[in-house]
Amino acid sequence: MSVAAPSAAALAVEGLQSGYGEVQILWGASLALAPGKLTTVLGSNGAGKTTLLRTVMGLLPAWKGTVRFDDRDVTRLSAHEKADLGMVLVPEGRQLFSTMSVVENLEMGATCRRARADRKRSFDQVFTLFPRLAERRGQLAATLSGGEQQMLAIARGLMAKPTILMFDEPSLGLSPLFTMNLFEIIRRLKREGLTMLLVEQNVQLALAVSDYAYVLSHGKVEIEGEAREVRQMEAVRKAYLGL
Amino acid sequence: MSLEALLPSAIDGLMLGFVYGLAAMGLTLIFGVMKVINLSHGPVIALGMFAVFLLFSSFGINPYVGVLAAAAIGLLFGTVIYFVAVDRVINAPELTTLLATFSVNLMIIGVGTVLFTTSPRSVDIDLGALRGSGVTILGTHAVAVVIAVLAAAALYGFLFRTRVGKQVRAVANNRAAAELMGIDSRRMLALAFGIGTALAMTSGALLSTLFAFTILSGGTYELKSFVIVVLGGLGNPTGALVGGLVIGLLEGVLTVFIPVAWVPVFEYLIFLVMLQLRPAGLLGSRA
Ligand SMILES: Nc1ncnc2c1ncn2[C@@H]1O[C@H](COP(=O)(O)OP(=O)(O)OP(=O)(O)O)[C@@H](O)[C@H]1O
Ligand SMILES: [Mg+2]
Repeated sequence: MSVAAPSAAALAVEGLQSGYGEVQILWGASLALAPGKLTTVLGSNGAGKTTLLRTVMGLLPAWKGTVRFDDRDVTRLSAHEKADLGMVLVPEGRQLFSTMSVVENLEMGATCRRARADRKRSFDQVFTLFPRLAERRGQLAATLSGGEQQMLAIARGLMAKPTILMFDEPSLGLSPLFTMNLFEIIRRLKREGLTMLLVEQNVQLALAVSDYAYVLSHGKVEIEGEAREVRQMEAVRKAYLGL
Repeated sequence: MSLEALLPSAIDGLMLGFVYGLAAMGLTLIFGVMKVINLSHGPVIALGMFAVFLLFSSFGINPYVGVLAAAAIGLLFGTVIYFVAVDRVINAPELTTLLATFSVNLMIIGVGTVLFTTSPRSVDIDLGALRGSGVTILGTHAVAVVIAVLAAAALYGFLFRTRVGKQVRAVANNRAAAELMGIDSRRMLALAFGIGTALAMTSGALLSTLFAFTILSGGTYELKSFVIVVLGGLGNPTGALVGGLVIGLLEGVLTVFIPVAWVPVFEYLIFLVMLQLRPAGLLGSRA
Protein backbone atom coordinates (compact mmCIF):
# COMPACT_ATOMS: atom_id res chain seq x y z
CA MET A 1 0.00 0.00 0.00
CA SER A 2 1.11 3.51 -0.66
CA VAL A 3 1.55 6.15 1.96
CA ALA A 4 -1.67 7.65 3.27
CA ALA A 5 -2.49 10.84 1.43
CA PRO A 6 -1.90 13.98 3.44
CA SER A 7 -5.18 15.04 5.00
CA ALA A 8 -4.72 18.43 3.37
CA ALA A 9 -5.66 16.92 -0.01
CA ALA A 10 -8.84 18.22 -1.63
CA LEU A 11 -9.34 14.79 -3.11
CA ALA A 12 -7.56 11.61 -2.10
CA VAL A 13 -7.86 8.36 -4.00
CA GLU A 14 -6.48 5.27 -2.27
CA GLY A 15 -5.92 1.85 -3.84
CA LEU A 16 -8.83 2.20 -6.24
CA GLN A 17 -9.87 -0.93 -8.14
CA SER A 18 -12.64 -1.20 -10.68
CA GLY A 19 -13.48 -2.35 -14.17
CA TYR A 20 -16.23 -3.43 -16.50
CA GLY A 21 -18.10 -6.65 -15.78
CA GLU A 22 -15.44 -9.27 -15.15
CA VAL A 23 -12.62 -7.23 -16.61
CA GLN A 24 -10.52 -5.39 -14.07
CA ILE A 25 -8.98 -2.15 -15.35
CA LEU A 26 -7.84 -0.27 -12.23
CA TRP A 27 -5.43 -2.22 -10.05
CA GLY A 28 -5.10 -0.06 -6.99
CA ALA A 29 -4.62 3.48 -8.24
CA SER A 30 -3.75 6.11 -5.64
CA LEU A 31 -3.45 9.84 -6.07
CA ALA A 32 -4.09 13.09 -4.25
CA LEU A 33 -5.13 16.54 -5.43
CA ALA A 34 -3.60 19.42 -3.51
CA PRO A 35 -6.05 22.27 -2.97
CA GLY A 36 -5.74 25.09 -5.45
CA LYS A 37 -3.30 23.10 -7.59
CA LEU A 38 -3.56 21.65 -11.05
CA THR A 39 -2.77 17.96 -11.18
CA THR A 40 -2.43 16.00 -14.38
CA VAL A 41 -2.84 12.29 -15.00
CA LEU A 42 -0.96 10.98 -18.02
CA GLY A 43 -0.93 7.55 -19.56
CA SER A 44 -1.14 5.89 -22.94
CA ASN A 45 -4.43 4.95 -24.60
CA GLY A 46 -6.22 2.34 -22.59
CA ALA A 47 -4.17 2.95 -19.44
CA GLY A 48 -7.39 3.48 -17.50
CA LYS A 49 -7.55 7.27 -17.13
CA THR A 50 -11.21 7.56 -18.08
CA THR A 51 -12.04 4.53 -15.98
CA LEU A 52 -10.29 6.21 -13.05
CA LEU A 53 -12.34 9.39 -13.43
CA ARG A 54 -15.60 7.49 -13.86
CA THR A 55 -14.89 5.47 -10.74
CA VAL A 56 -13.90 8.56 -8.77
CA MET A 57 -17.21 10.17 -9.76
CA GLY A 58 -19.23 7.06 -8.97
CA LEU A 59 -20.41 6.38 -12.51
CA LEU A 60 -18.65 3.06 -12.09
CA PRO A 61 -18.71 1.30 -8.71
CA ALA A 62 -15.38 1.01 -6.89
CA TRP A 63 -14.50 -2.63 -6.26
CA LYS A 64 -11.93 -1.76 -3.64
CA GLY A 65 -10.25 1.34 -2.32
CA THR A 66 -11.52 4.70 -1.18
CA VAL A 67 -12.22 8.16 -2.51
CA ARG A 68 -12.03 10.94 0.04
CA PHE A 69 -13.29 14.42 -0.70
CA ASP A 70 -12.63 17.14 1.82
CA ASP A 71 -11.62 14.45 4.30
CA ARG A 72 -14.92 12.69 3.94
CA ASP A 73 -15.33 9.18 2.57
CA VAL A 74 -17.42 9.56 -0.59
CA THR A 75 -16.52 6.24 -2.23
CA ARG A 76 -20.08 4.90 -2.23
CA LEU A 77 -21.92 8.09 -3.09
CA SER A 78 -23.60 8.23 -6.46
CA ALA A 79 -22.40 10.66 -9.09
CA HIS A 80 -25.17 13.19 -8.53
CA GLU A 81 -24.43 13.29 -4.82
CA LYS A 82 -20.78 13.94 -5.55
CA ALA A 83 -21.69 16.68 -7.99
CA ASP A 84 -23.82 18.19 -5.24
CA LEU A 85 -20.74 18.31 -3.03
CA GLY A 86 -18.75 20.15 -5.68
CA MET A 87 -16.94 17.34 -7.53
CA VAL A 88 -17.46 18.08 -11.19
CA LEU A 89 -16.24 16.11 -14.21
CA VAL A 90 -16.17 17.44 -17.76
CA PRO A 91 -16.34 14.00 -19.34
CA GLU A 92 -14.51 12.54 -22.29
CA GLY A 93 -16.43 13.04 -25.53
CA ARG A 94 -18.34 16.05 -24.16
CA GLN A 95 -21.52 14.14 -23.34
CA LEU A 96 -23.73 17.15 -23.97
CA PHE A 97 -27.50 17.05 -23.85
CA SER A 98 -27.62 17.01 -27.62
CA THR A 99 -31.37 17.54 -27.99
CA MET A 100 -31.34 20.53 -25.66
CA SER A 101 -30.33 24.12 -26.35
CA VAL A 102 -27.09 25.76 -25.25
CA VAL A 103 -28.89 27.62 -22.48
CA GLU A 104 -30.67 24.49 -21.31
CA ASN A 105 -27.36 22.62 -21.18
CA LEU A 106 -25.96 25.38 -19.01
CA GLU A 107 -29.07 25.37 -16.81
CA MET A 108 -28.58 21.65 -16.27
CA GLY A 109 -25.03 22.40 -15.19
CA ALA A 110 -26.43 24.62 -12.45
CA THR A 111 -28.71 21.93 -11.04
CA CYS A 112 -27.51 21.63 -7.47
CA ARG A 113 -28.80 24.08 -4.90
CA ARG A 114 -25.39 25.64 -4.35
CA ALA A 115 -25.05 26.45 -8.04
CA ARG A 116 -28.67 27.43 -8.57
CA ALA A 117 -28.46 30.31 -6.15
CA ASP A 118 -25.62 31.79 -8.16
CA ARG A 119 -26.99 30.96 -11.57
CA LYS A 120 -27.27 34.45 -12.96
CA ARG A 121 -23.69 35.29 -12.10
CA SER A 122 -22.48 31.98 -13.51
CA PHE A 123 -24.26 32.68 -16.79
CA ASP A 124 -22.54 36.06 -17.05
CA GLN A 125 -19.23 34.46 -16.21
CA VAL A 126 -19.37 31.68 -18.80
CA PHE A 127 -20.74 33.99 -21.48
CA THR A 128 -17.83 36.34 -20.84
CA LEU A 129 -15.43 33.41 -21.00
CA PHE A 130 -17.08 31.96 -24.12
CA PRO A 131 -18.77 34.78 -26.07
CA ARG A 132 -19.46 32.30 -28.86
CA LEU A 133 -21.87 30.41 -26.61
CA ALA A 134 -23.81 33.60 -25.92
CA GLU A 135 -24.30 34.03 -29.66
CA ARG A 136 -25.51 30.46 -29.95
CA ARG A 137 -27.63 30.35 -26.83
CA GLY A 138 -30.83 29.11 -28.47
CA GLN A 139 -29.17 26.55 -30.71
CA LEU A 140 -29.39 22.81 -30.07
CA ALA A 141 -26.15 21.42 -28.69
CA ALA A 142 -26.00 18.79 -31.43
CA THR A 143 -25.74 21.50 -34.09
CA LEU A 144 -22.67 23.19 -32.60
CA SER A 145 -19.23 22.73 -34.12
CA GLY A 146 -16.81 20.42 -32.33
CA GLY A 147 -14.96 23.30 -30.72
CA GLU A 148 -18.17 24.99 -29.63
CA GLN A 149 -19.37 21.73 -28.15
CA GLN A 150 -16.20 21.43 -26.13
CA MET A 151 -16.66 25.02 -24.90
CA LEU A 152 -20.20 24.16 -23.89
CA ALA A 153 -19.06 21.06 -22.02
CA ILE A 154 -16.54 23.14 -20.07
CA ALA A 155 -19.00 25.98 -19.50
CA ARG A 156 -21.60 23.50 -18.27
CA GLY A 157 -19.07 22.18 -15.78
CA LEU A 158 -18.30 25.69 -14.57
CA MET A 159 -22.02 26.40 -14.07
CA ALA A 160 -21.94 23.74 -11.34
CA LYS A 161 -19.65 25.92 -9.20
CA PRO A 162 -17.10 23.15 -8.74
CA THR A 163 -14.81 22.84 -5.77
CA ILE A 164 -12.86 20.33 -7.80
CA LEU A 165 -12.98 20.40 -11.57
CA MET A 166 -11.83 17.37 -13.53
CA PHE A 167 -11.27 17.35 -17.29
CA ASP A 168 -11.07 14.22 -19.42
CA GLU A 169 -9.33 15.00 -22.71
CA PRO A 170 -10.73 18.52 -23.13
CA SER A 171 -8.64 19.29 -26.21
CA LEU A 172 -9.74 16.21 -28.15
CA GLY A 173 -10.76 17.27 -31.63
CA LEU A 174 -9.88 20.92 -31.15
CA SER A 175 -7.83 22.98 -33.57
CA PRO A 176 -4.42 24.16 -32.32
CA LEU A 177 -5.79 27.67 -31.87
CA PHE A 178 -8.73 26.40 -29.87
CA THR A 179 -6.44 24.25 -27.80
CA MET A 180 -4.38 27.31 -26.89
CA ASN A 181 -7.59 29.12 -25.88
CA LEU A 182 -8.59 26.18 -23.76
CA PHE A 183 -5.29 26.13 -21.92
CA GLU A 184 -5.53 29.87 -21.40
CA ILE A 185 -8.85 29.29 -19.66
CA ILE A 186 -7.40 26.49 -17.57
CA ARG A 187 -4.56 28.82 -16.54
CA ARG A 188 -7.06 31.47 -15.61
CA LEU A 189 -9.09 29.04 -13.47
CA LYS A 190 -5.85 28.01 -11.82
CA ARG A 191 -5.01 31.62 -10.98
CA GLU A 192 -8.45 31.88 -9.41
CA GLY A 193 -7.42 29.05 -7.11
CA LEU A 194 -9.64 26.25 -8.43
CA THR A 195 -8.47 22.72 -7.68
CA MET A 196 -8.27 20.81 -10.94
CA LEU A 197 -7.45 17.42 -12.38
CA LEU A 198 -6.49 17.27 -16.02
CA VAL A 199 -6.32 14.20 -18.24
CA GLU A 200 -4.88 15.28 -21.55
CA GLN A 201 -3.58 13.86 -24.82
CA ASN A 202 -1.31 16.82 -25.26
CA VAL A 203 1.25 15.77 -22.66
CA GLN A 204 3.62 18.63 -23.39
CA LEU A 205 0.98 21.26 -22.73
CA ALA A 206 -0.46 19.39 -19.78
CA LEU A 207 2.90 19.17 -18.03
CA ALA A 208 3.58 22.83 -18.77
CA VAL A 209 0.48 24.08 -16.95
CA SER A 210 0.36 21.50 -14.16
CA ASP A 211 1.86 21.57 -10.69
CA TYR A 212 1.90 17.84 -10.11
CA ALA A 213 1.75 14.83 -12.40
CA TYR A 214 0.87 11.16 -12.22
CA VAL A 215 1.59 8.62 -14.91
CA LEU A 216 -0.95 5.82 -15.03
CA SER A 217 0.00 2.51 -16.59
CA HIS A 218 -2.08 -0.67 -16.62
CA GLY A 219 -4.43 0.75 -14.02
CA LYS A 220 -1.77 1.77 -11.52
CA VAL A 221 0.26 4.86 -10.84
CA GLU A 222 3.72 4.19 -12.24
CA ILE A 223 5.36 7.58 -11.84
CA GLU A 224 4.50 10.68 -9.86
CA GLY A 225 6.15 13.94 -9.00
CA GLU A 226 6.27 17.69 -9.50
CA ALA A 227 5.26 18.36 -13.07
CA ARG A 228 8.54 20.01 -13.99
CA GLU A 229 10.49 17.03 -12.63
CA VAL A 230 8.32 14.48 -14.37
CA ARG A 231 8.91 16.40 -17.56
CA GLN A 232 12.61 15.75 -17.31
CA MET A 233 12.28 12.02 -16.67
CA GLU A 234 13.81 9.88 -19.34
CA ALA A 235 10.91 7.37 -19.37
CA VAL A 236 8.32 10.10 -19.72
CA ARG A 237 10.24 11.93 -22.43
CA LYS A 238 10.56 8.72 -24.43
CA ALA A 239 7.06 7.37 -24.00
CA TYR A 240 4.90 10.48 -23.95
CA LEU A 241 6.87 13.39 -25.33
CA GLY A 242 8.39 11.58 -28.27
CA LEU A 243 11.87 12.85 -27.42
CA MET B 1 -72.72 1.36 -46.52
CA SER B 2 -73.58 4.92 -47.34
CA LEU B 3 -71.19 7.73 -48.02
CA GLU B 4 -73.33 10.02 -45.87
CA ALA B 5 -72.07 8.07 -42.92
CA LEU B 6 -68.48 8.83 -43.87
CA LEU B 7 -68.15 12.37 -42.58
CA PRO B 8 -69.71 11.83 -39.15
CA SER B 9 -67.77 8.63 -38.69
CA ALA B 10 -64.52 10.30 -39.71
CA ILE B 11 -65.12 13.18 -37.31
CA ASP B 12 -65.94 10.80 -34.52
CA GLY B 13 -62.82 8.78 -35.23
CA LEU B 14 -60.65 11.87 -35.30
CA MET B 15 -61.99 12.97 -31.92
CA LEU B 16 -61.37 9.55 -30.49
CA GLY B 17 -57.87 9.84 -31.92
CA PHE B 18 -57.01 12.51 -29.34
CA VAL B 19 -57.78 10.06 -26.56
CA TYR B 20 -55.77 7.28 -28.25
CA GLY B 21 -52.95 9.75 -28.75
CA LEU B 22 -52.95 10.62 -25.06
CA ALA B 23 -52.48 6.98 -24.07
CA ALA B 24 -49.75 6.56 -26.67
CA MET B 25 -47.96 9.62 -25.33
CA GLY B 26 -47.67 7.84 -21.99
CA LEU B 27 -46.19 4.75 -23.62
CA THR B 28 -43.79 6.72 -25.79
CA LEU B 29 -42.67 8.99 -22.94
CA ILE B 30 -41.61 6.00 -20.86
CA PHE B 31 -39.81 4.48 -23.81
CA GLY B 32 -38.17 7.75 -24.75
CA VAL B 33 -36.86 8.43 -21.28
CA MET B 34 -35.71 4.97 -20.20
CA LYS B 35 -35.95 2.64 -23.22
CA VAL B 36 -38.48 0.47 -21.42
CA ILE B 37 -41.37 -0.99 -23.38
CA ASN B 38 -44.11 -0.79 -20.80
CA LEU B 39 -46.29 -3.87 -21.09
CA SER B 40 -48.39 -2.80 -18.10
CA HIS B 41 -49.77 -0.02 -20.30
CA GLY B 42 -53.08 -1.74 -21.17
CA PRO B 43 -54.10 -2.79 -17.65
CA VAL B 44 -53.19 0.71 -16.45
CA ILE B 45 -55.59 2.14 -19.04
CA ALA B 46 -58.26 -0.21 -17.68
CA LEU B 47 -57.49 0.98 -14.15
CA GLY B 48 -58.19 4.51 -15.33
CA MET B 49 -61.60 3.34 -16.49
CA PHE B 50 -62.31 1.65 -13.19
CA ALA B 51 -61.10 4.62 -11.16
CA VAL B 52 -63.79 6.80 -12.75
CA PHE B 53 -66.37 4.02 -12.53
CA LEU B 54 -65.79 3.22 -8.87
CA LEU B 55 -65.65 6.84 -7.75
CA PHE B 56 -68.83 7.51 -9.68
CA SER B 57 -70.85 4.45 -8.75
CA SER B 58 -69.75 4.19 -5.11
CA PHE B 59 -69.41 7.82 -4.10
CA GLY B 60 -71.30 9.65 -6.80
CA ILE B 61 -68.22 11.61 -7.74
CA ASN B 62 -68.51 13.47 -11.03
CA PRO B 63 -66.75 11.46 -13.77
CA TYR B 64 -64.60 14.43 -14.76
CA VAL B 65 -63.42 14.85 -11.21
CA GLY B 66 -62.79 11.12 -11.50
CA VAL B 67 -60.58 11.78 -14.54
CA LEU B 68 -58.46 14.14 -12.47
CA ALA B 69 -58.30 11.60 -9.67
CA ALA B 70 -57.25 8.93 -12.16
CA ALA B 71 -54.38 11.13 -13.32
CA ALA B 72 -53.20 11.66 -9.75
CA ILE B 73 -53.53 7.97 -8.89
CA GLY B 74 -51.64 7.15 -12.09
CA LEU B 75 -48.75 9.39 -11.14
CA LEU B 76 -48.46 7.71 -7.76
CA PHE B 77 -49.07 4.18 -9.03
CA GLY B 78 -46.57 4.57 -11.88
CA THR B 79 -43.89 5.68 -9.45
CA VAL B 80 -44.61 2.61 -7.33
CA ILE B 81 -44.44 0.33 -10.39
CA TYR B 82 -41.08 1.88 -11.24
CA PHE B 83 -39.53 1.25 -7.85
CA VAL B 84 -41.07 -2.20 -7.38
CA ALA B 85 -40.61 -3.69 -10.84
CA VAL B 86 -38.43 -1.58 -13.09
CA ASP B 87 -35.72 0.08 -11.02
CA ARG B 88 -33.88 -3.12 -10.17
CA VAL B 89 -33.63 -4.14 -13.83
CA ILE B 90 -33.28 -0.69 -15.40
CA ASN B 91 -29.74 -1.42 -16.62
CA ALA B 92 -30.56 -4.93 -17.79
CA PRO B 93 -31.20 -5.76 -21.46
CA GLU B 94 -34.56 -4.66 -22.88
CA LEU B 95 -36.09 -8.15 -22.71
CA THR B 96 -35.73 -8.08 -18.92
CA THR B 97 -37.59 -4.80 -18.48
CA LEU B 98 -40.19 -6.04 -20.92
CA LEU B 99 -40.80 -9.10 -18.76
CA ALA B 100 -40.79 -7.04 -15.58
CA THR B 101 -43.57 -4.79 -16.84
CA PHE B 102 -45.38 -7.80 -18.26
CA SER B 103 -45.48 -9.30 -14.78
CA VAL B 104 -47.10 -6.09 -13.55
CA ASN B 105 -49.61 -6.48 -16.37
CA LEU B 106 -50.47 -10.02 -15.25
CA MET B 107 -50.82 -8.95 -11.63
CA ILE B 108 -53.18 -6.09 -12.39
CA ILE B 109 -55.28 -8.28 -14.67
CA GLY B 110 -55.30 -11.10 -12.11
CA VAL B 111 -56.30 -8.98 -9.16
CA GLY B 112 -58.63 -6.86 -11.30
CA THR B 113 -60.48 -9.91 -12.58
CA VAL B 114 -61.05 -11.17 -9.05
CA LEU B 115 -62.24 -7.79 -7.79
CA PHE B 116 -64.22 -6.54 -10.75
CA THR B 117 -65.01 -9.73 -12.74
CA THR B 118 -64.98 -9.36 -16.48
CA SER B 119 -68.56 -8.26 -16.91
CA PRO B 120 -68.95 -4.97 -18.76
CA ARG B 121 -69.37 -1.72 -16.87
CA SER B 122 -70.25 1.72 -18.01
CA VAL B 123 -70.36 5.20 -16.64
CA ASP B 124 -73.76 6.67 -17.30
CA ILE B 125 -73.19 10.21 -18.39
CA ASP B 126 -74.99 12.35 -20.90
CA LEU B 127 -73.86 15.82 -21.86
CA GLY B 128 -76.20 16.16 -24.79
CA ALA B 129 -75.01 16.68 -28.33
CA LEU B 130 -74.21 19.27 -30.93
CA ARG B 131 -76.12 18.68 -34.13
CA GLY B 132 -75.14 20.08 -37.49
CA SER B 133 -76.13 19.06 -40.98
CA GLY B 134 -75.88 15.30 -40.78
CA VAL B 135 -73.17 15.44 -38.13
CA THR B 136 -73.75 14.83 -34.45
CA ILE B 137 -71.05 15.48 -31.89
CA LEU B 138 -71.70 14.00 -28.48
CA GLY B 139 -70.88 16.27 -25.56
CA THR B 140 -68.84 13.56 -23.86
CA HIS B 141 -66.68 13.21 -26.95
CA ALA B 142 -66.09 16.93 -27.20
CA VAL B 143 -65.11 17.18 -23.54
CA ALA B 144 -62.78 14.18 -23.92
CA VAL B 145 -60.98 15.97 -26.77
CA VAL B 146 -60.61 19.14 -24.72
CA ILE B 147 -59.22 17.26 -21.73
CA ALA B 148 -56.85 15.23 -23.90
CA VAL B 149 -55.52 18.41 -25.52
CA LEU B 150 -55.10 20.09 -22.14
CA ALA B 151 -53.24 17.06 -20.79
CA ALA B 152 -50.93 17.00 -23.81
CA ALA B 153 -50.27 20.73 -23.43
CA ALA B 154 -49.56 20.26 -19.73
CA LEU B 155 -47.02 17.56 -20.58
CA TYR B 156 -45.25 19.90 -22.97
CA GLY B 157 -45.35 22.78 -20.53
CA PHE B 158 -43.82 20.52 -17.93
CA LEU B 159 -41.08 19.06 -20.13
CA PHE B 160 -40.00 22.31 -21.77
CA ARG B 161 -40.79 25.05 -19.28
CA THR B 162 -40.11 23.68 -15.81
CA ARG B 163 -36.82 22.90 -14.15
CA VAL B 164 -37.79 19.35 -13.23
CA GLY B 165 -39.20 18.75 -16.70
CA LYS B 166 -35.91 19.78 -18.25
CA GLN B 167 -34.13 17.44 -15.87
CA VAL B 168 -36.33 14.59 -17.11
CA ARG B 169 -35.32 15.49 -20.67
CA ALA B 170 -31.68 15.65 -19.67
CA VAL B 171 -31.87 12.16 -18.15
CA ALA B 172 -33.63 10.89 -21.27
CA ASN B 173 -30.92 12.41 -23.43
CA ASN B 174 -27.83 11.33 -21.50
CA ARG B 175 -28.27 9.68 -18.16
CA ALA B 176 -24.59 9.62 -17.15
CA ALA B 177 -24.11 13.28 -18.02
CA ALA B 178 -27.23 14.17 -16.06
CA GLU B 179 -25.80 12.39 -13.02
CA LEU B 180 -22.54 14.31 -13.45
CA MET B 181 -24.53 17.54 -13.36
CA GLY B 182 -26.08 16.59 -10.03
CA ILE B 183 -29.40 15.28 -11.34
CA ASP B 184 -30.79 12.32 -9.42
CA SER B 185 -31.50 10.19 -12.47
CA ARG B 186 -33.37 7.48 -10.58
CA ARG B 187 -35.85 10.00 -9.28
CA MET B 188 -36.38 11.38 -12.77
CA LEU B 189 -36.93 7.90 -14.20
CA ALA B 190 -39.49 7.15 -11.50
CA LEU B 191 -41.20 10.46 -12.21
CA ALA B 192 -41.26 9.79 -15.95
CA PHE B 193 -42.78 6.36 -15.33
CA GLY B 194 -45.35 8.02 -13.09
CA ILE B 195 -46.23 10.60 -15.73
CA GLY B 196 -46.45 7.96 -18.46
CA THR B 197 -48.77 5.93 -16.28
CA ALA B 198 -50.81 9.02 -15.42
CA LEU B 199 -51.29 9.74 -19.13
CA ALA B 200 -52.42 6.16 -19.75
CA MET B 201 -54.84 6.27 -16.82
CA THR B 202 -56.20 9.63 -17.92
CA SER B 203 -56.82 8.23 -21.36
CA GLY B 204 -58.59 5.22 -19.85
CA ALA B 205 -60.60 7.51 -17.61
CA LEU B 206 -61.79 9.47 -20.64
CA LEU B 207 -62.60 6.28 -22.54
CA SER B 208 -64.83 5.18 -19.66
CA THR B 209 -67.04 8.20 -20.33
CA LEU B 210 -67.45 7.09 -23.94
CA PHE B 211 -67.80 3.31 -24.03
CA ALA B 212 -68.62 0.31 -21.91
CA PHE B 213 -65.56 -1.59 -20.68
CA THR B 214 -64.20 -4.51 -18.66
CA ILE B 215 -60.92 -4.98 -16.82
CA LEU B 216 -59.59 -6.56 -20.02
CA SER B 217 -60.47 -3.59 -22.25
CA GLY B 218 -57.05 -2.04 -21.84
CA GLY B 219 -55.58 -4.68 -24.15
CA THR B 220 -57.25 -3.25 -27.24
CA TYR B 221 -55.99 0.23 -26.46
CA GLU B 222 -52.54 -1.02 -25.56
CA LEU B 223 -52.22 -2.54 -29.01
CA LYS B 224 -53.49 0.67 -30.60
CA SER B 225 -50.92 2.58 -28.56
CA PHE B 226 -48.14 0.41 -29.95
CA VAL B 227 -49.27 1.03 -33.52
CA ILE B 228 -49.53 4.75 -32.80
CA VAL B 229 -46.15 4.95 -31.13
CA VAL B 230 -44.48 3.28 -34.08
CA LEU B 231 -46.39 5.55 -36.43
CA GLY B 232 -45.28 8.63 -34.54
CA GLY B 233 -41.71 7.50 -33.94
CA LEU B 234 -40.60 5.73 -30.75
CA GLY B 235 -40.07 8.17 -27.92
CA ASN B 236 -41.69 11.13 -29.67
CA PRO B 237 -44.73 12.52 -27.77
CA THR B 238 -45.78 14.89 -30.58
CA GLY B 239 -45.58 11.99 -32.98
CA ALA B 240 -47.79 9.97 -30.65
CA LEU B 241 -50.48 12.62 -30.68
CA VAL B 242 -50.34 12.89 -34.47
CA GLY B 243 -50.28 9.11 -34.76
CA GLY B 244 -53.32 8.92 -32.53
CA LEU B 245 -55.23 11.24 -34.83
CA VAL B 246 -54.19 9.21 -37.87
CA ILE B 247 -55.33 5.95 -36.31
CA GLY B 248 -58.55 7.47 -34.99
CA LEU B 249 -59.40 8.93 -38.37
CA LEU B 250 -58.53 5.72 -40.14
CA GLU B 251 -60.75 3.77 -37.79
CA GLY B 252 -63.60 6.18 -38.37
CA VAL B 253 -63.29 5.90 -42.12
CA LEU B 254 -62.71 2.14 -42.25
CA THR B 255 -65.70 1.24 -40.09
CA VAL B 256 -67.97 2.79 -42.67
CA PHE B 257 -66.84 0.22 -45.20
CA ILE B 258 -65.84 -2.86 -43.27
CA PRO B 259 -66.90 -4.57 -40.05
CA VAL B 260 -65.24 -3.21 -36.90
CA ALA B 261 -63.62 -6.56 -36.22
CA TRP B 262 -61.46 -6.08 -39.29
CA VAL B 263 -60.01 -2.77 -38.17
CA PRO B 264 -57.14 -4.25 -36.12
CA VAL B 265 -55.98 -6.15 -39.19
CA PHE B 266 -55.41 -2.86 -40.96
CA GLU B 267 -53.80 -1.35 -37.91
CA TYR B 268 -51.24 -4.15 -37.71
CA LEU B 269 -50.66 -3.90 -41.40
CA ILE B 270 -49.72 -0.24 -40.84
CA PHE B 271 -47.57 -1.33 -37.91
CA LEU B 272 -45.61 -3.78 -40.08
CA VAL B 273 -45.30 -1.43 -43.03
CA MET B 274 -44.07 1.39 -40.80
CA LEU B 275 -41.47 -0.83 -39.15
CA GLN B 276 -40.24 -1.87 -42.56
CA LEU B 277 -40.28 1.45 -44.36
CA ARG B 278 -40.10 4.22 -41.77
CA PRO B 279 -38.95 2.87 -38.40
CA ALA B 280 -38.34 6.44 -37.23
CA GLY B 281 -42.03 7.23 -37.65
CA LEU B 282 -44.02 9.59 -39.85
CA LEU B 283 -42.30 12.63 -38.38
CA GLY B 284 -38.88 10.96 -38.19
CA SER B 285 -36.17 12.44 -40.34
CA ARG B 286 -34.65 9.19 -41.56
CA ALA B 287 -36.52 6.44 -43.34
N1 LIG C 1 -17.48 0.28 -21.33
C1 LIG C 1 -16.41 -0.53 -21.36
N2 LIG C 1 -16.57 -1.86 -21.32
C2 LIG C 1 -15.49 -2.68 -21.35
N3 LIG C 1 -14.24 -2.27 -21.39
C3 LIG C 1 -14.00 -0.96 -21.42
C4 LIG C 1 -15.08 -0.01 -21.42
N4 LIG C 1 -14.55 1.22 -21.45
C5 LIG C 1 -13.21 1.06 -21.49
N5 LIG C 1 -12.88 -0.24 -21.46
C6 LIG C 1 -11.51 -0.79 -21.48
O1 LIG C 1 -10.85 -0.32 -20.33
C7 LIG C 1 -9.50 -0.02 -20.64
C8 LIG C 1 -9.19 1.36 -20.14
O2 LIG C 1 -9.97 2.28 -20.83
P1 LIG C 1 -10.00 3.83 -20.49
O3 LIG C 1 -11.06 4.43 -21.34
O4 LIG C 1 -10.10 4.00 -19.03
O5 LIG C 1 -8.57 4.30 -20.99
P2 LIG C 1 -7.97 5.74 -21.15
O6 LIG C 1 -6.71 5.77 -20.39
O7 LIG C 1 -8.99 6.76 -20.83
O8 LIG C 1 -7.66 5.76 -22.70
P3 LIG C 1 -7.76 6.95 -23.77
O9 LIG C 1 -6.50 7.72 -23.65
O10 LIG C 1 -7.84 6.24 -25.09
O11 LIG C 1 -8.98 7.75 -23.47
C9 LIG C 1 -9.36 -0.18 -22.14
O12 LIG C 1 -8.69 -1.40 -22.37
C10 LIG C 1 -10.76 -0.24 -22.65
O13 LIG C 1 -10.84 -1.10 -23.75
MG1 LIG D 1 -9.98 8.19 -21.86
